[in-house]
Amino acid sequence: MNMNLYSRGDKFFAICIMVLVGLFTLSTLYPFIYIAAVSFSSGFAVTSGQVTIVPIDITFAAYDRVLSDPMFWNAYKNTFIYTFGGTFVSLLIIIPGAYALSRPQLKGRRFWNFMVAFTMWFNAGMIPFFLNMRDLGLLDSYFGIIIGFACNAFNIILLRNFFEGIPDSFTEAARMDGANDFQVLWKVFIPLSKPAIATITLFCIVARWNGFFWAMVLLQDEDKLPLQVYLRRVIAELTDDEEFVSSTVNALYSFETVTAAIMVCSIVPILMIYPFIQKYFNKGIMLGGVKE
Amino acid sequence: MSGVSLSKMTKRYGIVEVVRGIDLEIKPQEFVVLVGPSGCGKSTTLRMIAGLEEISDGTVKIGDRVINEVAPKDRDVAMVFQNYALYPHLSVFENIAFGLRIRKVDKKVITQSVNDVANTLGLTEYLERKPADLSGGQRQRVAMGRAIVRHPKIFLFDEPLSNLDAKLRTQMRAEIKRLHKRLKVTSIYVTHDQIEAMTLADRIVVMNDGRIEQIGTPMELFNNPVNTFVAGFIGSPPMNQLNAIVNDVDGRLVAKVGNSLITLPKIKALANSSNREVIVGIRPEHVLLQASATSSPIAIELELVETLGSEALLHTQIAKTPFVVKAETRFGDVSHLDKVTTLHIEPDLIKVFDADTGMALATAIQD
Ligand SMILES: Nc1ncnc2c1ncn2[C@@H]1O[C@H](COP(=O)(O)OP(=O)(O)OP(=O)(O)O)[C@@H](O)[C@H]1O
Ligand SMILES: [Mg+2]
Repeated sequence: MNMNLYSRGDKFFAICIMVLVGLFTLSTLYPFIYIAAVSFSSGFAVTSGQVTIVPIDITFAAYDRVLSDPMFWNAYKNTFIYTFGGTFVSLLIIIPGAYALSRPQLKGRRFWNFMVAFTMWFNAGMIPFFLNMRDLGLLDSYFGIIIGFACNAFNIILLRNFFEGIPDSFTEAARMDGANDFQVLWKVFIPLSKPAIATITLFCIVARWNGFFWAMVLLQDEDKLPLQVYLRRVIAELTDDEEFVSSTVNALYSFETVTAAIMVCSIVPILMIYPFIQKYFNKGIMLGGVKE
Repeated sequence: MSGVSLSKMTKRYGIVEVVRGIDLEIKPQEFVVLVGPSGCGKSTTLRMIAGLEEISDGTVKIGDRVINEVAPKDRDVAMVFQNYALYPHLSVFENIAFGLRIRKVDKKVITQSVNDVANTLGLTEYLERKPADLSGGQRQRVAMGRAIVRHPKIFLFDEPLSNLDAKLRTQMRAEIKRLHKRLKVTSIYVTHDQIEAMTLADRIVVMNDGRIEQIGTPMELFNNPVNTFVAGFIGSPPMNQLNAIVNDVDGRLVAKVGNSLITLPKIKALANSSNREVIVGIRPEHVLLQASATSSPIAIELELVETLGSEALLHTQIAKTPFVVKAETRFGDVSHLDKVTTLHIEPDLIKVFDADTGMALATAIQD
């Protein structure tokens, strides 16, 4: 940015914005840094309050304890199943749904759009939903978690709006070329909507990865618990374990460092996904196809 | 090759009729241009033939087959869109190949056909590029390539050149003409550029308000417009129209425009007229600056001379009505035109229209 092109007021404004953005970035980044630092520190260093930004007495003891628990790996596997299975099923529903709702020739289009939007503001509530899942025999199953939360009105509407912005002549040209609706969707709309679909995919992945409450309510079987629920259990168990919490003997790892290590393990994969999806965000893919 | 025939073709949106029962026979291999003012229903007509718009009433036939209910893809027509509608995520090659791929044409055949088309249109070196990396004219060519690669029975064009600058438009116009000469595919072309219409068309269809005003070859429309609308639409600048009063003075028809008397051609419908109101139509290029043996003089007020190079446009007024004259310059020199006060008009080149209906009164008959 060439600051010479800006007036004094603009410069001041720009500097204010940068400072604010900087502060905001720090405030969101610091918890991550702190947790990471704690997870690599010794239990004693943490309890005595020495850890702020960098690990003190670097040790992998906490990780050792976490990674040696077979239930941890099982929970990890489950979270992957819920996340990727769930995201896949979500996209399978959201993309064709958004396409249908964006078509002017859809009979009762306003009605269907209203019905979808309606669910964004109103739903039956927790207990009826739970009972419904129970009656459908979807408690305690992978399938229940995946299918039960697959459809998301917000994402459908987001993508529908994007689809509506695609010029009609694309659809018309494809139809004249002999494409049916599936081909129009698959060969034209989806490639043109990569940024929007990437966004939605990310939303789905993050929501699934962090999904906690319903997994806790709907799943009893320990073998099917996702990472977040497992994390809660471990914390609860450790808290109950008087001996462990109060022990000073165990200076290598403590309640705090073990918890932090689990958190780091559960955050890292989702952080790694973002760069892969990000490349679609700033791509001006619509450029040049039609002349405005 | 097939012709297209429209009979009583109608389009209604709710109760609004935008195309009001059009009858049109298009012969195989013919190049027909639809012209008319904005909103007159040209695109709608074309889109009904393409199958992108339902036909409210009447029938459309391609060859002998009624296609009202046939899906667009089964009509064997191809359309070039005004905004090209090239798929931005596909290369030029894939854009042209799209329709063939959808139709599951053999891969070798696709490669061959696309290369042939690219060759015809001079696109060979751009086949791997994305549309975003092409110039306007090249994109236009890709859009045409996509249409011709399928060897359809009918080409439909909806203002394909309107997004190009003037120079490129002239060039592409010639290219379309050449292409049609070569491929001889029946074509229907929508434009509101009347130069495009005149240069490309075998026949022009002038539309207005959902109806056809006149169908004819460019010269027929130019020489014998059936009404004042067509007269005002075809030609550039269009035909001048002056209100006049006609009297039959001893078998000689004379029109009074302002204070000038103009001799008219012999027109049966005007025989024995006295004080009949008409509209006199005179083409800008048919006005003489020097008197001839048969011409009648008319006084004008010169307002402005526009030089176009070898020609100039004189913007004048006759009896408070604007009147445009196209005259030759003397190698760009217009000093002689600045002094014009009187014009001369040859009777045989005058058109006369009924003042109420705007219909041409039997065009000048030489007997
Ligand atoms: N979906 C629609 N609902 C109602 N009226 C419509 C609809 N589509 C088009 N029209 C009307 O139909 C008329 C004809 O439109 P059309 O697009 O055929 O005009 P056109 O001759 O192609 O004009 P232009 O030269 O501006 O492209 C217009 O008056 C337009 O307002
Ligand atoms: Mg149009």
